[in-house]
Amino acid sequence: MVRILLRFSEEQVSQPIASEIIIQYKVPMAILAAHVNSKGGEILAEIPDDVQEKVIKAFRERGVSATVPKLIEVDKEKCFSCGSCVALCPVEAISIDAECTVQFDKEKCVGSTCSVCVDACPARAIKSVKQNNNGHSSNDRKNK
Amino acid sequence: MSKPTKSRSVEEINEKIRKGDVQVLTAEEMKKLVDSSGVEVAFKEVDVVTTGTFGAMCSSGAVINLGHSDPPIKIDHAWMNDVKVCHPGAAVDLFIGATNMSESQPFEYGGGHVIQDLIAGEEVELRATAYGTDCYPRTQLKTNITKDDLNQFCLMNFRNCYQRYNCAVNTSDEIIYTYMSKLLPRLRNATFSGAGELNPLMNDPDYETIGMGSRIFLGGGQGYVIGEGTQHSPKNLNGTLMVKGDAKKMSPEFIQGAAFTRYGTSMYVGLGIPIPVLNEGLAKKTAIRDSEIFTDVVDYSVPRRDRPKLRQVSYKELKSGCITINDKKVRVSSLSSLKMAKKVASTLKSWIEEGRFFLTSPVERLPTESVFKPMRQTEEIPFVVSVMHSAVTCTENEEIRAIAERIVTKSVNHIVVVDEVGKLLGIVTSWDITRAMAEGKKSLAEIESRNVITTKPDEPLEVASKRMAQHNISALPVIDIEKKVMGIVTAEDVSKLLGR
Repeated sequence: MVRILLRFSEEQVSQPIASEIIIQYKVPMAILAAHVNSKGGEILAEIPDDVQEKVIKAFRERGVSATVPKLIEVDKEKCFSCGSCVALCPVEAISIDAECTVQFDKEKCVGSTCSVCVDACPARAIKSVKQNNNGHSSNDRKNK
Repeated sequence: MSKPTKSRSVEEINEKIRKGDVQVLTAEEMKKLVDSSGVEVAFKEVDVVTTGTFGAMCSSGAVINLGHSDPPIKIDHAWMNDVKVCHPGAAVDLFIGATNMSESQPFEYGGGHVIQDLIAGEEVELRATAYGTDCYPRTQLKTNITKDDLNQFCLMNFRNCYQRYNCAVNTSDEIIYTYMSKLLPRLRNATFSGAGELNPLMNDPDYETIGMGSRIFLGGGQGYVIGEGTQHSPKNLNGTLMVKGDAKKMSPEFIQGAAFTRYGTSMYVGLGIPIPVLNEGLAKKTAIRDSEIFTDVVDYSVPRRDRPKLRQVSYKELKSGCITINDKKVRVSSLSSLKMAKKVASTLKSWIEEGRFFLTSPVERLPTESVFKPMRQTEEIPFVVSVMHSAVTCTENEEIRAIAERIVTKSVNHIVVVDEVGKLLGIVTSWDITRAMAEGKKSLAEIESRNVITTKPDEPLEVASKRMAQHNISALPVIDIEKKVMGIVTAEDVSKLLGR
């Protein structure tokens, strides 16, 4: 499974874009996190690896920003393992190991749609990454 | 044949350190030994137990001396990397307070970061202004300095090493940002601080060995206890220490600046104390376990000095990551680093074993009976209860027209919607009624606001006023613990009393 981050503009929110794609390509899509209102929205969804390319292409053809998100970045030099972030994480992606070191599970993390841990880090070691790996940055929204 | 010894002295321990045959255990190791072999054996085998803690300690800072500029200046105001620093003494002595915030990056960079940067050997910008005197004519100064340029760089922490601390939660409907970090609404998380069984004062709760002049691990260097910390309250196990140390010899690993969102900046301090095991009593005390150390779960959503305590909880439960409050499982996070606390204790252990750290006997005992008093206040501040008045209410099945009439006859702007027992359901304003008329809406359900921002009678008026401004609203229903409406407080009431 692979995670894709979808960003809808104000004009796109009212259209059934995701449903159309699900039906057209018969893709099972698990929605992990969603923040949508009339001004636009963000959905973090999980899809099978083998359909990743065509699904991303389909969203982009419809003008939706679709990216494979890099979720959070943790600066291990800065983190002193206080653990402030641990109980905040809604998906239990952060834990403390036997050596009392804070560990981040990037597989579980839902990333920039959540970011609840970011401003709770006293060492400012956690960064929420909104940038993606396909040249579509969050700036794209402004250009639309 | 000599009798087995029932006590040992600090001098004897130091002699063993010199010879290289001292027996040191960390507090963690000592507890295991007492568990497996008993107090008697542990006393016989162990000379020193090392403790440690690494947490945010806001009442910390550093005294620095800059040397004189030419022409000389008697500094009046000064900033280091844009963080305001105090000039509590003569011309060029400054105090960098850990919680002072940068004027250009407030809440992100502060005095703690300046101290950490200096310790790390980085260059820090110093700006100063002065009024100028005959002996100190200069009025402006800008220079860059490192710790090597300073005559003295002395860490001076007036309250460190809290013996234990509250566990913080938030029962309100809104997220709050506190010095206990981010507290999610409706008990969705909890935070705590302190090393529990590794904390120095927990291992010597009667201050038999820790006192004025005790040599300690401070920030990766050596420091000293210089007295009781402010708010020292040993009688109820809330002891604190005042400490100092040469910051030039400290490490940025053990002194770290910190930022607490919407609260401010602070500094994490690594502090460890060696406990000489002078007698069996001390061997027993250093065996204390997290399961024997309790603290209160405190509701930080109540903006008062005496916040409600929801229950007592042990450090064992806190460290498990989950506690139960009102039958609800609440995940709990530590704010202090247990990993670093262990590192402090083990580093101190190796220093002693390697003969690089000798123990001291206190020159004076610390108070063991004092308690922390609240502030004497000669001026009273207003609370919601002092301005609230009875609310004009309606029920959900009333007609809009009837409500409009009530607004006119009672000459109010807000009608509180309640159920049959007086519990809050919603609120309707004269604006909502006007809109209903304009848009031809008939039922109350269509126009009332159900997500009502409220207050409580014992909330300070200033806090209630701030909430109204935050949400851009002009009144707050006052409710009790069961959500029953007790009255209403309006922006008008507030401005009458507070004059704003």
